[in-house]
Amino acid sequence: MPDNTETPARHQIRVEEAVKSFSGRVVVDVDHMLLGDRPIEGLIGPNGAGKTTLMRMIMHATGLDRGTVTLIPNGSGGDEVVLSRLPTHRMAGLGVVKSNQVIMDFEKLTIWDSLLLSVADAKQETPYRMFGEKALFEQHEEEMREHLEFFGFADPTLHAMSAGEKKLLDIVRCLLLKPRFLMLDEPTAGLPDEMTEKVMQRVRALADAGTAIVIVEHDLNVIWKLCDEVHFMAEGKLILRGTPDEIRRHHTVIEKYLGEGHV
Amino acid sequence: MNLNWLSAFLITGLFSVVMVAGLALLLHLQLGLTRIANFGVVGFFGTGMYVYGVLYVRVDWPFGDPWQFLVCALAGTVAAGIAGTVVGWLIADLDVDAMLLGTFGFATMVFILATTQKSLTGGALGMGGLRFPYKLGTVKANEALWLLILVIIVAGILFYVARVHRSPYGRMLIAVGDNEALARSLGKPAFRAKLLQFTVGSAGMGLLGVMYGVLERFLVNTNLGVELTLAAVVALVLGGSARVWGGVIGAVLTIGVFDIVVQSYLPLPKSWYGQAIPVVKQMVYGATLIAVLMFRPLGILGGMRRDKLMRRVHGA
Amino acid sequence: MEFIGESIVIGLTQHAPLILAAMGFALIYRLTGTINVAYSETLTLGAYFGMWVNTNLGWTFYFSLIPAGLLAGLLSVGTYFAFFRPAKLRGMGALEVIILSFGLSIFLRYGLQFVFGYPVRFYDVGTTTTYRILGTGVSAFRVMALASVLILAVGLYLFIQKSSYGLQIRALASDEDLAKASGIRPLFVTTLIWFIAGVAGGLAGAFYGVNSNVSYLLGWRQFLFIFLVVMVAGRKSIGSVIIAGAATGIALAALNLRLSQSLYAQLVLILAFMVILKVRGRRMAETGKV
Repeated sequence: MPDNTETPARHQIRVEEAVKSFSGRVVVDVDHMLLGDRPIEGLIGPNGAGKTTLMRMIMHATGLDRGTVTLIPNGSGGDEVVLSRLPTHRMAGLGVVKSNQVIMDFEKLTIWDSLLLSVADAKQETPYRMFGEKALFEQHEEEMREHLEFFGFADPTLHAMSAGEKKLLDIVRCLLLKPRFLMLDEPTAGLPDEMTEKVMQRVRALADAGTAIVIVEHDLNVIWKLCDEVHFMAEGKLILRGTPDEIRRHHTVIEKYLGEGHV
Repeated sequence: MNLNWLSAFLITGLFSVVMVAGLALLLHLQLGLTRIANFGVVGFFGTGMYVYGVLYVRVDWPFGDPWQFLVCALAGTVAAGIAGTVVGWLIADLDVDAMLLGTFGFATMVFILATTQKSLTGGALGMGGLRFPYKLGTVKANEALWLLILVIIVAGILFYVARVHRSPYGRMLIAVGDNEALARSLGKPAFRAKLLQFTVGSAGMGLLGVMYGVLERFLVNTNLGVELTLAAVVALVLGGSARVWGGVIGAVLTIGVFDIVVQSYLPLPKSWYGQAIPVVKQMVYGATLIAVLMFRPLGILGGMRRDKLMRRVHGA
Repeated sequence: MEFIGESIVIGLTQHAPLILAAMGFALIYRLTGTINVAYSETLTLGAYFGMWVNTNLGWTFYFSLIPAGLLAGLLSVGTYFAFFRPAKLRGMGALEVIILSFGLSIFLRYGLQFVFGYPVRFYDVGTTTTYRILGTGVSAFRVMALASVLILAVGLYLFIQKSSYGLQIRALASDEDLAKASGIRPLFVTTLIWFIAGVAGGLAGAFYGVNSNVSYLLGWRQFLFIFLVVMVAGRKSIGSVIIAGAATGIALAALNLRLSQSLYAQLVLILAFMVILKVRGRRMAETGKV
């Protein structure tokens, strides 16, 4: 009989002495941060706190002036991997995935295209594999259709039209990559409430199955409801860290940065 | 076989149309899908042609045709592919301006090398000594068979391009060209993909150069000017840079019109053919590029219809 | 030592027009951020028209510079209003604008051949005395030409850096919205830039033409190096273009003296510049939203 109190091991990411400046202005300056300790963690802070930049540094989409980002793959075993030495395209293979804050889409590709792009692996996308499309589709048809139905995409042969559709598609692409460490950058912005609820359902399911989740959100209600741990950043630094209750107890600090009425 | 209906002009004219269509198809993969600006098409074409020609004529081969041809043709194609890898490595992660500079600079370097290495290439005077790898009796018969072989090769390229559109590989190329940062975040190795694709495309251009060199049976550096790059670009842009058949249709409408219809079938004064017609041809090509980009940038065939493609391949 | 002196003298007298042409090209490139391949045709037009005025109306070379520069400037402005401005208003992508300018370049190049005829043409300037500078023989004419080019280049530099119009140009190039908010009229300033760039190109072309000959390929032959000089000079002030242009000219002359064939000099420099661009490319700013 499996022991149900044993939660599966989660990937963690350790950020050490990481600094990034743009045009002489220090945007991120984090001495030490451990993410993935708890199933769902939140990253909050005022605009310009460096949250998105930090996540981009983890993905190595932007270089680090100093410091390291290390992946501790508890979920799959194996040695630590220094992410800050790898190119961005290696992240997905290691299970490290990030959704986008602003709308990012492929203008020329349909919804099916986006999904198939996510599920395909490198071996299937070489110049001499001319006839692999049907097999790829059949291999993943079930899981793709499941996501499409759950989120209510009407016709996947079309392109994503509205901003909300594109945002959802971005998230579905992330989900199809089978992430072990998923960063969601303001996933609810621009989504209607039912969609936000559906996204959160999927996120909770992933967390229960062992994926580490980090969410950046401005809507603090989502954070308090969902997260087991919250990191508070301001002016590029990590100011506070703790459970939602612990953070709310420091409401003067929070209000100093975010204004009143959030706690 | 009675080939009287096939004049020498028609053979070379058709050869040009098919060859430029082939170049435009390869350019479609580079420029249309992956968005790599290749303004040095003639450089890769010329690399294939000259490496083939120099090896064929200058080396004392222990075996004759067709093996001599095949070995040298392979060498020419591979050389063009290697050039593609080197140039691709230099430009693949740079912006559009640097791509223009890198590819155009490369083409200029090929021209300079072909002109200065006179002992190998004959320089500006040119070099003969190439011949068809078979003997069919008349020159016209030889050329006609060569045209047929080219048609088969370019048909193969067309088939490959069509398959690319329908394959995961093609989708990845389009994604990289459309939004490279997003593609990388989904795990696609953008730099490697661009490099590989540029290599394959350049090798193909080199092969077409080999075919042309044999047809002319003469190498001369005037073949290495920007006119050929222009022809491929006009054909692709006019037909539709995002579509499989774009380059083919564009080649027929540009080269086909000028090199066949105007050259052979329009009753214009003889004196015009020496200088006026070639000059007007280039002016028309330039004007065509301007007009298409200003008024119908996606060309005659318009935009990629992936929704139709997805419906056809996967159903609803 | 003699080698260095020779390189400097030959390099500057032969390639001084490159400095002017690169400055003109850089003006447009820095403002619109795109490569105007058709810029090389302003050189050709300047050379052809100056030659025409010189041989048909009997004007001296220096007087013929005025109509040559003016007409090239007008051509440049014309292409801006006919093609580049509409393209920008339509939101045409960078790659498409480059291809469009490529088509325009071809059209103008062969159009000029159509207008001015097929044979190669020459300026009518007669022979001049020869001076020895730094140990190298150089015709008086070439020395005058070099001096003129340098004066024009410095004049253009001072105009851009010091005059009020120059200030408006630099403001518009660095931040269009802010410039508009400061009361700068972008259409007027942009037109001014295209005009000045065209004039610089036309004058450069005239100097090239008088030093060798005038053909429809005159401008196109220089395009690659104009482009290389501007790219290598980077996006700092217009002064860096002068330095890069002069350095390139001297390097070309030096390599020419050392290598067996003159084309080799170009080959080496193209390769060197491409490597510089690759190395510099890695240090590009990381912007992006993903």
